[in-house]
Amino acid sequence: MDTHPALTPAEAQHLLDRADRLSRSAHDATRWPYIAFIVALGVATAMGTFAMALATGDAFGLAYVGTLAVAFALILFFVISIQGRAAFARSRRWTAYIASWFVTYAAALAVVIFAHGSVVLASVASGLILVVSFLCAAREARS
Amino acid sequence: MTTAVPHPRHKLDELLQNPVRFSIIAALDRASTLSFKEVRDAVEITDSALSKQVSTLEAAGYLSVGKSFAGKMPRTSLTLTKEGRVAWRNHLATLREIAGSLD
Repeated sequence: MDTHPALTPAEAQHLLDRADRLSRSAHDATRWPYIAFIVALGVATAMGTFAMALATGDAFGLAYVGTLAVAFALILFFVISIQGRAAFARSRRWTAYIASWFVTYAAALAVVIFAHGSVVLASVASGLILVVSFLCAAREARS
Repeated sequence: MTTAVPHPRHKLDELLQNPVRFSIIAALDRASTLSFKEVRDAVEITDSALSKQVSTLEAAGYLSVGKSFAGKMPRTSLTLTKEGRVAWRNHLATLREIAGSLD
């Protein structure tokens, strides 16, 4: 006995459209704070480490405090934005994004410490932070 | 003697033919992991209706349910499993096959 209800091509197409719409809206409604956060974190830390790698004296202190202040403000904004919707923050994909950013940020900090004043190395390290964070954001936006 | 080719609808996943379960898996397709609240808002159903369908999908191995606490507030997360993703992809492929006969 055929227990499957007949499904017309038009109904199948309607279901496909509905699935795509739902998938997109659920993704878009929950992901924007994550995408905004990873982009802003990348820009702030790239500029901050670039400034720190080249600045000396008071300017270095200003770059250091400024970077810290912006990073804390971003984290605060992010935590408030995802309140009650933090499931994705525990996912493997998000962990990979943060790990990628952290590795490049650590490399940039190493440049600040061990190659202070080198414009080329500072540019490469800071640029790498930007590239990695933009790639993560793009990957998330297109997923 | 000719062998009749079965209609593609026979390949549709039985579990995913339920509209609510279909919508739950659709919501999780791109995001992979969402909180219970996020899925409830996306699918636009009550907590109890969602809970019932989530139990069915979890029993079938299509999604996993995670429990955690944010302070004293319990948080439930829903993640599409590998098995669930495979079933979903096959279901969509069959729907495309059926829809293809529109062309």
